[in-house]
Amino acid sequence: MLSSLGNPRQAAAQILNFGLVLSTAFMMWKGLSIVTDSPSPIVVVLSGSMEPAFQRGDLLFLWNRNWLQDTDVGEVVVYNVKDKEIPIVHRVVRKFGDGPEAKLLTKGDNNGADDTDLYAKGQDYLVRKDIIGSVVGFIPFVGYVTIMLSEHPWLKTVMLGIMGLVVVLQRE
Amino acid sequence: MDQVLDRVREGAEGQIDFEGQKLAELIVNISLSLVGAIAFIVGYLQQDIKLALYIALGGSAMVFVAVVPAWPFFKRNPVKWLPVGGGAQVQAANLVVDEKAM
Amino acid sequence: MYSSIVRIQNTFGFFTTVAFCIAALIAASDFFSPRAPTVNSLKTTSVQVVRGRPHYYSTKKEEYAIIKFSLDADLSDLFTWNTKQVFVYVTAEWPEINGGNTTNKAVIWDSIITSPSADHLTNLGPASKKKLIKSAKGKSIDKSRGKLSIKNQRPKYQITHPTGKVASKDGVQLKLHYNVQPWVGPLTWNQDKHIGLWKALKNGVSKSFKFPAVKAKDIPRA
Repeated sequence: MLSSLGNPRQAAAQILNFGLVLSTAFMMWKGLSIVTDSPSPIVVVLSGSMEPAFQRGDLLFLWNRNWLQDTDVGEVVVYNVKDKEIPIVHRVVRKFGDGPEAKLLTKGDNNGADDTDLYAKGQDYLVRKDIIGSVVGFIPFVGYVTIMLSEHPWLKTVMLGIMGLVVVLQRE
Repeated sequence: MDQVLDRVREGAEGQIDFEGQKLAELIVNISLSLVGAIAFIVGYLQQDIKLALYIALGGSAMVFVAVVPAWPFFKRNPVKWLPVGGGAQVQAANLVVDEKAM
Repeated sequence: MYSSIVRIQNTFGFFTTVAFCIAALIAASDFFSPRAPTVNSLKTTSVQVVRGRPHYYSTKKEEYAIIKFSLDADLSDLFTWNTKQVFVYVTAEWPEINGGNTTNKAVIWDSIITSPSADHLTNLGPASKKKLIKSAKGKSIDKSRGKLSIKNQRPKYQITHPTGKVASKDGVQLKLHYNVQPWVGPLTWNQDKHIGLWKALKNGVSKSFKFPAVKAKDIPRA
C-alpha cells in the first residue's frame, strides 16, 4: 500500500487530489459567502439561549441581503459585538427607525432579559452593519462535530491522524 | 506467533471476494434507498417525524450489520489461484492485469 | 468494498446521501400542506403610559407603554410533522412623524408553542413540562395548540423609545406575527401575500389607537 509513495507520479497525483478537495471546499464556502453577502454564511449554534428553536450543534444558514425588505422585528439574526469574538444568534424584538441606521434590540427566546447587557459598553442598540446575517435555513445536529472538536482538542489530533492514514492507505 | 497475528489482522480487515464485493454494494445501495423511502413515506402518512427518524436510523444500523462484517455469503466465490509453478497451463491471453484489483 | 473499513466508509457515505435527500424531501413536504392562519380578533383592552427607570441604578427617566390586549386566533395549520415550534409574537407599531416619518416596532408579548415532538426541549419547570407532554400523549402533532384565545393579557414587555418618549403618540397598531421553526428546512414567517398553498395572515392588525398622556403618579383615587 505504501509502495505508491515510491512512485513519484502517483504520489504527486495523490497530493494534487488532496489539494483539490481542500480548495473545492474553500471555493464553495467563499462562493456561498459572496452569494449571501455574509462573511460566515453557515454557523453552528453554540449556546442554548434560543432553545427550544435551536440547540447546540444545529446548523444555521444565513442570508445578509435586504432584497425584499429591511431586517425586521421577529427575524433571528447573527451579530457581532465589538471586542467580542463569538457571534451571537438572537431574535430582533425592537426596531426604531428605518434603513441602515435603524436601532435594533435583540433577545434570546430562552433568556429572560434582552441583550443590552451583552452589547459593548455604552451601546444600547445594534445597527444593521453589526449583523452578519438573518437565519433562513436550519439543519439539526449536524454541526455537533465542530463543538466536540473545539471542546475536546485531543479529538482533533485523532481526526488528523485518521485522515492522514486514510490518505496514505487509499489506492488511487 | 507471527502467524497468529496475521490471522487476527486478516479477521479485522474483513476481506471478501469479488462477487461478495459486488453483492455488498448492491445490498447497500438498494436497502439504504429503501429504508429512506419507507422512513419518509411512513413518517409523512403518520405525520410523525420521530417515527421517520427511528425507522431511518434503525434500518441503516441493520444495513451496516449486514454489510460490514465479512459474512460467509460474501466469500462463496474465492479466487481460484493457479498452482505455483504450473507454468504449462498458463495462457497469456487469460491473464488480466489490473493494478487496482491487486 | 474489499475490506471492512472500506465498506464502513462507503456505506456511511451513501447513508449521508440518503439522509440528505430525506431531509430535503421533509423540508419540501411543508410546501404541500396548506396554511390558512386567521386572526378572529386582536384588540387592546387597556393602554397606559407610566414613567420609570430602565433599571434600578439608572437616573434616566423614561416613559413606558403598558398595553393589555385580547387575542383570538387560529394558527392550527402551522403544525405539521416538520414543525418544531411556532413562535407567536405581538408587536406594537407606530410612526415617528418628527423623525422623518420612520416606523417604530416593538414586541409586547410573545409565546413559544412547541410541537409534541419538541416538548422535551422546552424550558419549563418539571411539573408544567410533564403536564405539557401528557397533554399530547399518543399524538405526534397537536393542531389544537394553534388555537389561541387570550383575554386581557398583560404585556410581557413594557416598551419605550430611544428618546424615552412614547406618551401621546398617535397611530399605534398591534400586529400579530408568527415564525414557524421547522425540524429541517427554511424558517417561515407570516405573509402579506398568498404564496402557493400558503395564505396570507388574515386580520392580523388591530385598530389604530393613541398612547395616552403619562399617568400622573401618586394621585389618590377619587
